[in-house]
Amino acid sequence: MLPQALPTLPPADVRGTEVGDARRLREALAGAHGPVRSLYVHVPFCFHKCHYCDFYSFVDTQDRQGVFVDRLLEELRRSAACAGGAARPRLETVFVGGGTPSLLAVDQWRRVLDGLHRMFDVARAGEGGEFTVECNPETVTAELMGVLAAGGVTRVSVGAQSFNAAHLKTLERWHDPANVERALGLAADAGIARRSLDLIYATPGQTLEEWRADLERALGLAPGVEHLSAYALTYEPNTAMTARLERGDFARADEDLEVDMYDLLVARLRDAGMERYEVSNFARPGAECRHNLAYWRQESWLAAGPSASGHLGVGEAGGWRWKNVPRLTDWMEGVASSGGWSPAQDVEPPQAGRARAERIMTGLRLREGIDAGLLDATAARREVERGWMVVEEGRARLTDAGFHFADGVARRLMGSR
Amino acid sequence: MQIRNFSIIAHIDHGKSTLADRLLQATNAVSEREAQAQFLDSMDIERERGITIKASAVTVFHQIGGEKFMLNFIDTPGHVDFTYEVSRALTACEGALLVVDATQGVQAQTVANAYLAVNQNLELIPVINKIDLPSARPDEVAMEIEQVIGLPAEDCILVSAKTGQGIPELLERICTRLPGPRTSTMDFTRGLIFDAVYDDYRGVIVYLRMFDGTLKVGDKVRMMGAQRSFVVTELGKYTPKPVKAQSLSEGETGYLVANIKTLADVRIGDTVTQEYTPAPEPLPGYQEPKQMVFCDFYPAIEGDDEDGSPGQRKAASDFEELRDAITKLSLNDASFTFQTVHSEALGFGFRCGFLGLLHMDIIQERLEREGGVKIIQTAPTVTYQVKMHDGEEREIHNPADLPDPGTFDEIREPIVKIDIMLPERCIGDVMKLCQERRAEFKAQQFISEGRQMLKYEIPLAEIIYDFYDKLKSLTSGYGTMDYDVTGFHADDLVKLDILVNGTPVEALSIIVHRDKATVRGRLLCQKLREQIPRHQFEIPIQAAIGSKVIARETIKSVRKDVTAKCYGGDVSRKRKLLEKQKEGKKRMKSVGQVNIPQEAFMAVLEQGE
Ligand SMILES: Nc1nc2c(ncn2[C@@H]2O[C@H](COP(=O)(O)OP(=O)(O)O)[C@@H](O)[C@H]2O)c(=O)[nH]1
Ligand code: SF4
Repeated sequence: MLPQALPTLPPADVRGTEVGDARRLREALAGAHGPVRSLYVHVPFCFHKCHYCDFYSFVDTQDRQGVFVDRLLEELRRSAACAGGAARPRLETVFVGGGTPSLLAVDQWRRVLDGLHRMFDVARAGEGGEFTVECNPETVTAELMGVLAAGGVTRVSVGAQSFNAAHLKTLERWHDPANVERALGLAADAGIARRSLDLIYATPGQTLEEWRADLERALGLAPGVEHLSAYALTYEPNTAMTARLERGDFARADEDLEVDMYDLLVARLRDAGMERYEVSNFARPGAECRHNLAYWRQESWLAAGPSASGHLGVGEAGGWRWKNVPRLTDWMEGVASSGGWSPAQDVEPPQAGRARAERIMTGLRLREGIDAGLLDATAARREVERGWMVVEEGRARLTDAGFHFADGVARRLMGSR
Repeated sequence: MQIRNFSIIAHIDHGKSTLADRLLQATNAVSEREAQAQFLDSMDIERERGITIKASAVTVFHQIGGEKFMLNFIDTPGHVDFTYEVSRALTACEGALLVVDATQGVQAQTVANAYLAVNQNLELIPVINKIDLPSARPDEVAMEIEQVIGLPAEDCILVSAKTGQGIPELLERICTRLPGPRTSTMDFTRGLIFDAVYDDYRGVIVYLRMFDGTLKVGDKVRMMGAQRSFVVTELGKYTPKPVKAQSLSEGETGYLVANIKTLADVRIGDTVTQEYTPAPEPLPGYQEPKQMVFCDFYPAIEGDDEDGSPGQRKAASDFEELRDAITKLSLNDASFTFQTVHSEALGFGFRCGFLGLLHMDIIQERLEREGGVKIIQTAPTVTYQVKMHDGEEREIHNPADLPDPGTFDEIREPIVKIDIMLPERCIGDVMKLCQERRAEFKAQQFISEGRQMLKYEIPLAEIIYDFYDKLKSLTSGYGTMDYDVTGFHADDLVKLDILVNGTPVEALSIIVHRDKATVRGRLLCQKLREQIPRHQFEIPIQAAIGSKVIARETIKSVRKDVTAKCYGGDVSRKRKLLEKQKEGKKRMKSVGQVNIPQEAFMAVLEQGE
């Protein structure tokens, strides 16, 4: 089922990319390469733009969902042809993020799920498969959860962010905190056994006690969650939150408070049996998000939907990275005009130095750490002497203290060869 | 043929350059089309040869009623730091066009320049420009000119340098109203140097105005002030194309090339005479360039993390590179001085002297741009005079050099007279600002309905940093100022030392009035606490007078260097972010284990009203 000829590239596909690189990426995807076991799908619709958000998402007008799914299925078909030669290539992890995937109408979801299973052999829960859908607590319905569960979804990730109405308001995040528990309940009722929660801390004005209350609320949920992602609020460029900060509407959380909040988070979740397996991710043993681990271990994954990023590993030299064009219309045009090829931009060909830097950067953020052989010995020793890293049995891992300085350590180690 | 030597003086943006271009065109020095073509041609040649010659004097010809005139435009530098240079250029003239924007009216620089011209006994022609603009108010502006400068309102010529309106009348006025050059007073040769530029191929090009006698190619000439001699290899005029001439005679203006290797050999205001038959005395008014503002340049370091975590540290540019860059630059700007300094805390660098603040900024920028060095610049300070107990007079350019208290009688600081032109409604605020800056009120003058001029005497040290910015913000941009150093004045001044992590950092020391020391010390510690990034350890910051600590702050140790988000599958984004953090690192100087960013060195100047 390998594609016969590579269609010519329309110039609109190649923003930020050498035309030659985009072509070579297609050749690499179409040619022989190692297994690709993961897929990311981006659904760009939301019902309101949260102020801190810099994901590619926009307010849904419902009328474009159908065409979006049409194009998505075309892109998935082409991707399946590239995933490893089999008629229905095997996927071990699927992650549908956004945006707000739960905003996609149930009928559209049925089409997506049908298509997915027709084109791919998606591993079921019993076979060790992981299929996550991100949900906004407000948009979860019993019907949707039923359709998802029947379609092989094994895991939901619910964007709670906070249980404090005032802080939700600051974030311009519109949902009723009570709906988080309701959403989790509906997922559990439908048989979706793995549940994760997203939280945000260090919002302007938030106190340590308020953060503690959020954590307790999250841990006391019934049904509960076995995975939690908690992010300190990051002021991304070109977001409303950053504009408000710069205008002086509020002050950034003090560095000491933010660190105290993080320490509380790590300690409290450890108490509750959820270990930090990545700087901002916590899970009961065995409940780690395998899809995200694939990212952080530099495995290969396919990407579909506007702004989705993909990676095709090709061994030591690293892999191809690319990103789909972010604008919905550009992406739809690109897919339609090229027979389902991902309209890629920012294509980065494999390059050993970059691959090493990326391994260090994402790997050090993991509890499991990285192969110490990647590191310059002197630079590594410096970090060990400062108490920020340990090297044991050939693996370099950050210490509890070192996790506070993961960026600094990575910057120094990445640059030191 | 009659000769007219004149300058155009104006407040910035009132249209001096536009008017000069328009006059060139109108005299048919070149036709409109040619003007552009030729101008560009010579620019291209210059660019190819890697030089830019700015013509400081342009000669054109004009006819009025059958009589032919040679008109010499003499350009003047446009900034307050170069008052002396402006005054020399004006000395080369008999007249000046005082250009005032018909929408803006008389501004501080207009007045300052007009006074300079009046002091040189120049004939002034008041010109009101930009009358094509709908918001032009020529009648009011004419009244302002009469009120402030004392030139009759009805004498003003209304022009638009943009449309050409009024230009023929202006040319006629230049020819008929401005006096010709004075007749020679002696048999010797004397020419005034009013500008000089450096050209990589021909060496220094000297602009001069002949007052007495004649210069010829091949003459051996002597610069009377600099006491250097050269053989003239080329003479000429810019028309605006360079045209060689065999000689320059009294009354004329032109350029001279004489195989002069460095601008340091040429002083603006100096007199050129014949080596073998020298004039008995030079033309009056020459002064040595006087540096009023000083600061240190040190090579910046790169490679360390901001928090002091050791990385691949290297000096961004080392001392030798900096020395090369500074030496090279001094070839074509002789008005700044430099000498090696060594500071316990900061290592080797240069203490440099400048004519003023703008001059300092220009030099700093050129060093980085042309010399390719990265520098840490310390806050500018002024020159102080110290009278020691034993009567010895010392001049210090660095607060760190102030002798110990008890060893001297007095410290004197430079005082400037400052003219501030402003809207009447802002007077209260500006007066308050001046009082806070130890200014002494001298006079208030009516300019026109709603506008006034304030005259003060103020220590130069009080205005070298943010005074102008403050003035602009208090007057919503309408205030303008001009200043001139008038002398030195003793006051109760003390040295405030700053200790970072226990180490005194000379470059952060300031000399302040005793009454303000505590407030400034506190403010400075607070500023440094904000500017110096957190390190891996706590850093105490102290301000002290002698051994007495008067203020203290602590910079807490860094607790995190990690971004929570990993951007999912967008690994490139995270990588670029880390790379950017690496590149975006501030320019620093390390003091012991503490990295101090450039901004912190400037914090000493914040007065924080
Ligand atoms: N409308 C109008 N604009 C003018 C006139 N003369 C100059 N300008 C504009 O005023 C600005 C400043 O002129 P410029 O000659 O550079 O001023 P300088 O700083 O005194 O040399 C420029 O944008 C000119 O185009 C004029 O007669 N009419
Ligand atoms: S719901 Fe998620 S993707 Fe949508 S705007 Fe909010 S944060 Fe962004």
